[in-house]
Amino acid sequence: MIIARIVGNAIAAHCHRSLSGKTLLLCQQLGDGDVSVGAPFVAIDLFGAGLHERVLVSTDGLGARHLVEDDSSPIRMFVQGIVDEPVEAKQLITSH
Amino acid sequence: MRIGQVIGKTVLSVQDPACEGGRWLVVNPLDASQLNGCCEKTPSLSAQASLIVYDNIGAGEGDIIGFSEGGEATAPFPHPIPIDALCIAIFDQIHYTAFSSN
Repeated sequence: MIIARIVGNAIAAHCHRSLSGKTLLLCQQLGDGDVSVGAPFVAIDLFGAGLHERVLVSTDGLGARHLVEDDSSPIRMFVQGIVDEPVEAKQLITSH
Repeated sequence: MRIGQVIGKTVLSVQDPACEGGRWLVVNPLDASQLNGCCEKTPSLSAQASLIVYDNIGAGEGDIIGFSEGGEATAPFPHPIPIDALCIAIFDQIHYTAFSSN
């Protein structure tokens, strides 16, 4: 799981059926000093996270399939929770 | 799901029979700076490594697609299929707003 910041949203009329009607949010991984780094990715959100909020994003496909109740869904990343305060960590190394 | 621009396609003369019925798109993943307006105007190429994405929902060249990677790319298929990147969305609009803490 990674901590990310919501930096936008995406709209796709033409997509896999398990995505239609779902909110697709653009997220960017959070690094040191609360700065978001790297290329944004798209996560499914069912909790109504707002723009620029910090969220916990899980990349577990099984959890995503349960979330959208579709066993053939190709989704991998979904918002698992909303983080309240900035992360207090000695150092936050991102994968970028 | 990562965002990428379809910059070409490739045709296989011999392939695993499980992959019939789909196409192989050459995709260039996009960076944050290229996202705004990428569905309206073709964005520049990013420095990220391009990859081949299996597609069976009909994405054309120049489309901005969302593709899923890893084991989840095989989830929609009833039979085992040897792919690790699948096109699952063709974006119409993408809104990116960078966060500035000041």
